[in-house]
Amino acid sequence: MKRLLSVFGAATMLASSMAMAADYPSKNIEFIVPWSAGGGADNVVRALQPSLEKALGATIVVRNLSGGGGAVGFSRAVASKPDGYTVTIPTNATFTLEGLGNVAFTRDDFDYIARVLVEPYVLAVRKNDAWQDLDSLSSDLKSSDKPLRIGASGVGSSTHIVSLMLGEALGLNIEVIPFDSGSAAVSAAMGGHIDGVVLNPSEVISAINGDRLTSIVTTGEERSSALPDTPTMEESGHDFELSQWRGIAAPKGLDPAIEAKWVEAVKQAVEDPQFQKAARSMGSDISPLYGDELDQFVERTSKPLIEEAKAIRQ
Amino acid sequence: MGDYVEALGLVFQWHVLLVIGGGTLLGLIMGALPGLTAAMAIALLLPLTFGMPPVMGMGMLLGTLCGAIAGGSVSATLLNIPGTPSSVATTLDAFPMARRGEAGRALGICIVSSFIGGIFSAVVLSLLAPPIADFALRFGPAEYFALSVFGLVIIASVSSKSLIKGLVAGLIGLLIATVGTDPVAGVQRYTFHNLSLLTGVNLLPALIGLFAVSQVLKDVVDYFGPERTEHSKNKMDHASPRWLETLSYWKVLASSSVIGTVVGAIPGAGGSIGSFLSYDQAKKMSKTPEKFGTGHPEGIVASESSNNALVGGALIPMLTLGIPGEAATAVLMGGLMIQGISPGPTLFTDNGSIIYGIFIAFFVANIFMLLIQWFGIQIFVKVLQVPRKLLMALILMFCVIGVYAVDADIFNVYLMLGFGVLGYFLNRYDFGTAPVILGLILGPIAESNIRRALMLSSGDWSVLVTRPISLVFLLVSAAFLFFTLWQNRRQTTSHS
Repeated sequence: MKRLLSVFGAATMLASSMAMAADYPSKNIEFIVPWSAGGGADNVVRALQPSLEKALGATIVVRNLSGGGGAVGFSRAVASKPDGYTVTIPTNATFTLEGLGNVAFTRDDFDYIARVLVEPYVLAVRKNDAWQDLDSLSSDLKSSDKPLRIGASGVGSSTHIVSLMLGEALGLNIEVIPFDSGSAAVSAAMGGHIDGVVLNPSEVISAINGDRLTSIVTTGEERSSALPDTPTMEESGHDFELSQWRGIAAPKGLDPAIEAKWVEAVKQAVEDPQFQKAARSMGSDISPLYGDELDQFVERTSKPLIEEAKAIRQ
Repeated sequence: MGDYVEALGLVFQWHVLLVIGGGTLLGLIMGALPGLTAAMAIALLLPLTFGMPPVMGMGMLLGTLCGAIAGGSVSATLLNIPGTPSSVATTLDAFPMARRGEAGRALGICIVSSFIGGIFSAVVLSLLAPPIADFALRFGPAEYFALSVFGLVIIASVSSKSLIKGLVAGLIGLLIATVGTDPVAGVQRYTFHNLSLLTGVNLLPALIGLFAVSQVLKDVVDYFGPERTEHSKNKMDHASPRWLETLSYWKVLASSSVIGTVVGAIPGAGGSIGSFLSYDQAKKMSKTPEKFGTGHPEGIVASESSNNALVGGALIPMLTLGIPGEAATAVLMGGLMIQGISPGPTLFTDNGSIIYGIFIAFFVANIFMLLIQWFGIQIFVKVLQVPRKLLMALILMFCVIGVYAVDADIFNVYLMLGFGVLGYFLNRYDFGTAPVILGLILGPIAESNIRRALMLSSGDWSVLVTRPISLVFLLVSAAFLFFTLWQNRRQTTSHS
């Protein structure tokens, strides 16, 4: 009898899950943003929200669960039911948090639905005639034997880790000074208190346009649309590519049919001119990726970040 | 000049003015509720601005910001609840004055001081923004450390009853500030594997707990005590802006507005301590320093003119350099960037009419702030007519909602209640709660910056005295400390 009941139970669960996928979405969808309102990730979600709502035919409720540098929100997302009614916005912080060992989740606890935006990291240094580009910067540093003091946006943040990785890749002696935020680091570089920063283009674009910082190199696959004149690492002859990204993920175990609905919705949302305008002004590039390609991207990006973050911890 | 004329045209359209006024009103309401910060109010309204022209959208958000800061002083005055961290110093004198039954007078002084501080900073913003931004850039880690030491000296000045007890309370704040991930090495300290503590003790639950919840606890104890009062004392007929009284403290107004604007322009440090610095200044310059903390109008003038001047100050590095100093201006900058306008020096050359439009909108927002409060003051004081037992319950409810709304994290609510109990006992035994907040705010700034400064100087401490700004702050701190000790000693000997 017991077995019968459990079979029956499983069958109804299966049936109900199929029915759920068919009439998904039938209630509000919670979008967990693990940072406070007004941050970069929050701006992206709020810019996507109207067109996603239209495409999915449901209301999306944005919940800002900040705290722990994203740890609280991601942990809450992972602990939710994978029914498609809870999604979150994965970024490189998802991986660095794992590497730093502060959280119980890993990158495998998410089902990645889409990558929406990418932003490379950019090495920008304070205005200095000897530091025009990568060649002049590295020859000047090698002859003076001084370290390059780089501000990052927080201890253990992806900018901290990428700064260290850039130092290794370029063979430069980079000393990382963690600041409380990207803007604090930019301000210190503009004031000449540190030599430069490794941040995302949106955080340094004002300083570069204002002729106070010089962008040296970016880390993306292609040049950033915000900094079209700055070469990438690959172009400069270094085998190094790593970008910050923002996408959509659900807790592991999402029904493929629901995932497909989301992918369709994201495909429509990224075509929305209002969203494209917002993305441009935030300095990000729209670069959608789904399915297997996305999984490969996650694998390729997360591995070095997690390893390097583990090294910082020790 | 042509830009200014064009900018006037952008602002003075009835729908733009309406939106600025609406933003100010909403900001006032949100600022007056405990736990709802200016940053949150702006973030909520941000999506509405996407479809608006830039000046209209920014005007609404600026109105919200001004309104929220001003609204914070309403709850600080009437209920001892600083709606935003920058109104903590307001509670020191405005609340005792309101408790005496002069809530209308306290609010009247607040309104006029806020308006004058706000307008002063608007003038500075439109005339002197670039040089002030350059000055702010000279603040490196060593200077931030020296500034926070200067701020910590204020603890001695805001601890009204006993210097030693004030210092103990300040140290409690500093101790609590060590919780969280080490800002430089990334090691976890006292987090007990609690994710909510990874980035340290959240300031807002601490603030609301120490001020609002502890006040509710005290009121509950008093309510069941011998002198039971159903209603607060209040003289309703005097609730109107106090122009002459406020302007008679023109020296305090002037110095506090300057301090507020300049400190507000220093990214990261300004926000919360500007009003404390002004309060401290006013007390030092005053002929009657012993009246501070007992409901003295000079204290209210200092804090309120300064915290509204902070707003204009904070806009300086945001607009001229693209560096937001704190949460509210960061959201504001996000709003600007979504409009396709990137702040920074190019804003002045490429989008002249827009930046001047923003300046004018900021003036307009301050005027709306004055008008709305002028009409609202009669309604505000009615809050005190609510029977005490209902009011206490309502305050506690708003505290819980507000603090939960910060991060949607129930842990913050527990934290708030814990701080409430701590605050109750600190007040009961005359330690005071303002020093704890100062320690909490300044501890992390001092710690992380001294370590950055030493990283940059390869461990050489002399960097603190070889850099001029840093040296000046340290010397002035030492001088103030001795002055306060001397003032304190003189008072105690004259009492005995």
